[in-house]
Amino acid sequence: MLPQLLINGLIAGSVFSLIAIGFGLIYTTTRFFHFAHGAVYTSGAYFAYLFYIILHIPAYLAFPLAVVGASALGAGMELCVYRPLRRKNATPMVLLIASLGLFVILQNLISLFFGDDIKSIRTAPVEVGLPFLGARITPIQITIIVVSVILIIATALILKFTRMGKALRAVASNPQLAKVSGIEPNRTILFAFILGSALAGASAILIALDIDMTPTMGFPALMMGVVAVIVGGVGNIAGAAAGGFLLGIALHLGVWQISSKWQYAIAFGILLVFLLFRPQGFFGKRVRRVSL
Amino acid sequence: MNYLLHIIIFIEIYIIAAVSLNLISGYTGLISVAHAAFYGIGAYIVALLALHFHTPFMLNLVLAIIGAVALATVVALPSLRLTEDYFIIATFAFQVIIYSVMNNWVSFTSGPLGLPGIPQPVIFGWVVDNHISFLVLGGILAILAYLFSWRIANSPYGRVLKGVREDEILAEALGKNTMRFKVTVFLVGSGLVAIAGSLYAVYITFIDPSSFTIDESIFMLSIVIVGGMGNLWGSVLGAVLLVSIPEILRFLGMPNSIAANMRQILYGLLLVLFMVFRPRGMIGEKR
Repeated sequence: MLPQLLINGLIAGSVFSLIAIGFGLIYTTTRFFHFAHGAVYTSGAYFAYLFYIILHIPAYLAFPLAVVGASALGAGMELCVYRPLRRKNATPMVLLIASLGLFVILQNLISLFFGDDIKSIRTAPVEVGLPFLGARITPIQITIIVVSVILIIATALILKFTRMGKALRAVASNPQLAKVSGIEPNRTILFAFILGSALAGASAILIALDIDMTPTMGFPALMMGVVAVIVGGVGNIAGAAAGGFLLGIALHLGVWQISSKWQYAIAFGILLVFLLFRPQGFFGKRVRRVSL
Repeated sequence: MNYLLHIIIFIEIYIIAAVSLNLISGYTGLISVAHAAFYGIGAYIVALLALHFHTPFMLNLVLAIIGAVALATVVALPSLRLTEDYFIIATFAFQVIIYSVMNNWVSFTSGPLGLPGIPQPVIFGWVVDNHISFLVLGGILAILAYLFSWRIANSPYGRVLKGVREDEILAEALGKNTMRFKVTVFLVGSGLVAIAGSLYAVYITFIDPSSFTIDESIFMLSIVIVGGMGNLWGSVLGAVLLVSIPEILRFLGMPNSIAANMRQILYGLLLVLFMVFRPRGMIGEKR
């Protein structure tokens, strides 16, 4: 029982990590809660459905295209809504409310076009998992973990070594200082949206391969991402990834004792505990808020 | 005719919800997305009391308010210690937890099946059982809620609330215990919205958790934002418009399955457009 729960936790955790990293990238560069990220996530799965099932594009082309689609959507939101709002010196609160609006619009557009029923991009029949250390794991689940880990490492490398990645980290750590050093904030933020939304799209496709999709899948997934970011410590990629895995494993170990229908309540219970007692997260540094 | 009355009764319910949320979000600047949870708590308390104990409506209403205020205390004390962004996240968390309790504690709330057959209210011999009488009851409650909120908003207490929103540190420097103001206004708003929930429960006579989701909270927030934060008339106007506009879709002959989505898209679009072009809402705050 225990190894199985750990493996299930690892699978869920790898997907939470991807969402958390994407959300965290956008949050640290823009400093507002981009709720529409949840709908961008859902769009990834439905783009995959559109390209792969409806348009019959082969998988190796359809799935990357879907990731590009989700990424373009996130970038589009930044260009059409958030950037004009920032130009008007909108407060983070105004941006947040606008993003709630975008979330509602996108989620309902998806349900309008594809319907509310469960859609699947699985083509192979469900198989009994391979035995692995006393647990069972299906090839698809192995793919999920492997692809997630590759994406997490790739993102970390991009942030560490590329020019845009370095600019992004600079803006995240100190926007004013980054600006006087000649880093264009708008371009950097756009890059954060492109990268973050691509990660969200990819994680949705991975989850859809295992447990299908519905138009409302985005909100709970986003919330898990937010919890993972806060648990891991805001502004910290490794922290967000670790937070995702911790949360996934905690939820699935919780299922051992408590019925799975309480999953979300448990996740948010964890969130509240962190917000109250350790708002900087597991790995974050404590910052004293100074303001006048 | 009954259709029109039905819409007006809903407008009355949402006026109560919106003015109470306006006190919290508009006047004090605490954006909460847990308002539908307290609305739901009010509805559930009234429904459960009426179904199991057959207690009179007025008593149930008072107990619903007390219940919502008690729960709001549990939510407010930890959440209000957090700064803006994190306060929203905390209210999100409570909204999801409370919804999950309504949905999953089956033995108590009968879960997704909901509670049917909630008895209609009898108030000191006055049987409220048709559209007209509900319209009157709703009207009375909405006016009382409005006057109550107006009194709060335009008192010295209300001015401190605005002060907390504009500059919390300054308000503190002037010797105001801002935490106390934030907590009390959150309790008052949550108690008021329980009245809206009670009215909803006895009017529809059936409640289930799906009426008290995060979407409902966002809808209430849209009314306040579209109407105008920090202006109670704005919330009334917002409630009238946002409840009645989607009904037009029905007349356009749109099938129900599409209309539900279109309604949500409309709300979302309104939120985005108002944020871009008129962040103060239709009737902004008087300055």
